[in-house]
Parts: sequence; C-alpha cells; structure tokens
Amino acid sequence: MSEIKITGYKCTECGRVHYPQHEQCLSCKGRDFEPLAPEGDATLLAYTQIFNLPWGFDERFLIIGVGMFENGIKAMGQIKADSLDGIATGMKLKPSWEPVRVQYGEPVLGLKYEPV
Amino acid sequence: MRDVAIIGVGMIPFGRRDQDTLVDMLAYASLKALDDAKLGEKAVDAVYVGNMGGGILQHQTAIASALVDRLSLLPAAADTVENGPASGGSAMKNGVLAVASGYYDAVLVAGGEKMREVTGWRATDFVATLTHPEVEYHYGITLPGMAGMFTRLYMETYGLTREMLVAIAIKNQAMGALNPYAHVEMNITKEGILDSPHSVVNNPTVADPLHLYDACPVSDGAAAVLLCPLDQAKKLTEHVPVVVAGFGQATDTHTLQEREDPTDLKSVTLASQQAYKRAGIEPKDIDVAELHDAFTILEVAESEHVGFFEKGEGGKAALAGETKLGGKIPINVSGGLKARGHPVGATGVAQIVDITWQLRHELPKGRQVENATYGLTVNFGGFGNNVLSFIMKRA
Repeated sequence: MSEIKITGYKCTECGRVHYPQHEQCLSCKGRDFEPLAPEGDATLLAYTQIFNLPWGFDERFLIIGVGMFENGIKAMGQIKADSLDGIATGMKLKPSWEPVRVQYGEPVLGLKYEPV
Repeated sequence: MRDVAIIGVGMIPFGRRDQDTLVDMLAYASLKALDDAKLGEKAVDAVYVGNMGGGILQHQTAIASALVDRLSLLPAAADTVENGPASGGSAMKNGVLAVASGYYDAVLVAGGEKMREVTGWRATDFVATLTHPEVEYHYGITLPGMAGMFTRLYMETYGLTREMLVAIAIKNQAMGALNPYAHVEMNITKEGILDSPHSVVNNPTVADPLHLYDACPVSDGAAAVLLCPLDQAKKLTEHVPVVVAGFGQATDTHTLQEREDPTDLKSVTLASQQAYKRAGIEPKDIDVAELHDAFTILEVAESEHVGFFEKGEGGKAALAGETKLGGKIPINVSGGLKARGHPVGATGVAQIVDITWQLRHELPKGRQVENATYGLTVNFGGFGNNVLSFIMKRA
C-alpha cells in the first residue's frame, strides 16, 4: 500500500488529535504537538454522493466521505465505489494514496478509501 | 453605545441579470435605500459592501470604492467586506458598530453578488473555495456535498425524513411565488418532487440525500440598508424606525470533521445567544425569522440552534406547519435563500431588508406577519464556521 501522506497532530497536553494542523490546541490551547501518521484502516463517519461537480472534475459523480483512522485522525477522502449500495456509516475503509484530481495537467494525490 | 436604526432599505429582484454588472446592481439597490431613507442633503459618512466573489468571478476588486464613485458619495469612507456567504452580514455588523460607536452618523451597507455569468461548474467551484484548501477542496467536495453529509447524519441521529425537507421546499417556494424580488417564483408540489414516479426526473439527487429542490438557486442580486442613530432617525424618516436590537457572531472549526458533534452548529447557537442577550429577549419573543436556508436541512438545523425548537424537532415542526405564515414562528416568509435566491454577498443584507419590511408592517396580506415586533436573521458562512445573527425591533 502506498504511504498515506497526511500528518495528524496530537496535543501533548490534553491528547486531542488534530487534522489539519493548528498552531494551538482546539481544546486546551496547548502549542506542543506530536506528529501522527494515520494508522490502520478507517471507519466511515459521514458520506455523500455528489452529482453536480465543481470545475476541474470530469467524472459523472464523486462519492466523498470522512473516515476516522485507528489513532483518531479524521480525514476526508474519495470513496472507491460505483454507487452508494453497500456504503454505510460505521463501515471499515481501506485507505490508499492516489490521484484524486488533475490540476494544470498534473495529478494531485490524496486519500482514497476502498470499502472493506 | 448608541441605538442604531435602519431608516432606508432597498433591494433589486434576484435572478439572472445579464444586463447588469456587479456594481450596477449594488448601485441600484443602494439608490433605493437612499431614496427610502429620504436622507436629503445629509451626507453618507461611510459605505460597507459585502461581496464574496468579485475578485474571482468578475476579476474586479475594491468593489466598495467603485460603488462610492458610482453613487457620487465621495469622500465617504468605503470598505469591501469578504466573509464568504456571510459577507453581507459582516458588512452589516461593521455598519452597526460604526454608528453605535458614535464615529459615523449615516452609513450605507450594501451586499451584492453576480454569479450567473459563469457556468454552474465554475460557480460551484467558486463557492467551494471556502473549504479547506488542502484537506477538503481538492477532493471535489462542494457546499451541497457538505450539506449532504450533514443531512445524512441528521437523518441517522434524529430521524429527519425527506418528507420534512420537502415540506420546507414547498413552503419557501410558495412564499417566493408571492415575492416580486424572488429568483424562483414557482409553486411546487409534494407529488411533483417526492411522491410521483416523475419526481426522479423532476427532482434529481444533487448530493445524496439532498435533491435539486432542497437547494437554493445560483443568483445575481443586491440589497442595501441605510443606518443612523435612533435619535436622528426619528427626525429623518417617515417610516416607523426599525432598531438593530442586538447581533452576535461566532466561528467554528474550518472543517466539519473536527467538530466533536458534527450535527451541532455551535456558531449558530452562540451567535443567536449573543443577539438575544444584547436585545434582552428570548427565542419565544421572535415574531418572524429569516434563516440561511441555502439547503432545506439548514432551515431545520438553524431553527433548532436559535432556540425555536428542541434539537431534532425542527423537521417535525416544519412538517406540522409551525414555521408557515400564521404558524408558531414564521420562517423565511420571503421565500428564503431557497426561493428569493442566494447571491452570496447579498444574502445577509437581503435578510435585514426583508425583516425591516416585516417590522414596518409594509408587506401585503399573505406575506405580512401580523403585529410583528421582533425579527431575527441568521447569515451562515462556510459550513457554519462563521455565522452572524441579528435581531431587529419595531421601535
């Protein structure tokens, strides 16, 4: 599996996990963080299937969701599925790091989730 | 701090306005507000303009400077205020603070947006620029997509149904059909958008579980208000002065995923609580509200978070007719963003204009809330990461 190139930030004071980065902890305003790589599979927290896509996407639709990794990092990604059949909140997702769009002729890499 | 009165209001019909530039629209709405105020020879001290997309969509910046010049209000101070879809509300806040502080006596607040000159593809991308650039935007998430995820969570947590959302769409479009300023002046039926086999075609999915008729249109439009101290308003205007009794503003995390409870719109709760406290009233005292229903789900959620209904009860209340004209708390009698339209920078100001008309008791039967004394607005920026709420009172 390709490396998931996102970094979470765990507050060393209170333990809250942040993604994306904050300069101060959302809970305790602490300024010291331990960098975290996402661990394991993710659990699907929320999702949708979008049919009216923004400029820059040629797909007929996108399925997008928010997954939570085993160490608490929550991150948005594209879900690899042809429809919402079988997709449900709470299901397991296998993450990967792949092109999620093309900008200025270049692929942009990001998080993709495959339903397990 | 001085009491601030709204002495003039103006709006132009929302919709597709190919013939007008952004500054044209702002100027037309502003002239209406100036005429409505009958300001006479009294100078406008300052102008605040709410606009989100001039720099992106029209390749034009410094919109407030252009408006002051167009209206020949020189040398009035002029500032453009960009705060996403809450730009209008933020411009209004700046105007209120400027008058309340005693620094300026006559302040024009305008909001405007011209969104229809680009394709829907581009307009969707433009609005999505308010999402987090690294962890949200590049995945193709849109504001309807955010609302879709939020709706599903609401359905799973609180038993919200599509029938409840459809009731709001029908209500707001029915009110829009009576509003000469509305972008969408068309009644719809439950059969047409939910029950019949044709509803799949009439009302396709936009961002599951939300459908076309759950969403506001992409609009051009502008609105404006003129503010002055209450003691001067009584000498200047023939209208019953409407006072800004209170306002609040609050922010929340940029991304929905970082909220401890993603169905909790803390910023709406906090902004409205600040407004109630400043006005010295409670939710039960509000007679009419204009909520930011960019999607039907937001009318449900905001009606709960401003304290009209318990959490999880807003959809049921809408289905029971409690938010219709004549109901417990009439919401979006203008048609709301859903039907009046949503030229993003204009919306926060348009809400103030609609509530002012309600509190002056100037609207025709069928649109007027009887004996309305207090009105509330919610202008919702981002996906709830920057929210303003205003309470107006008939003086």
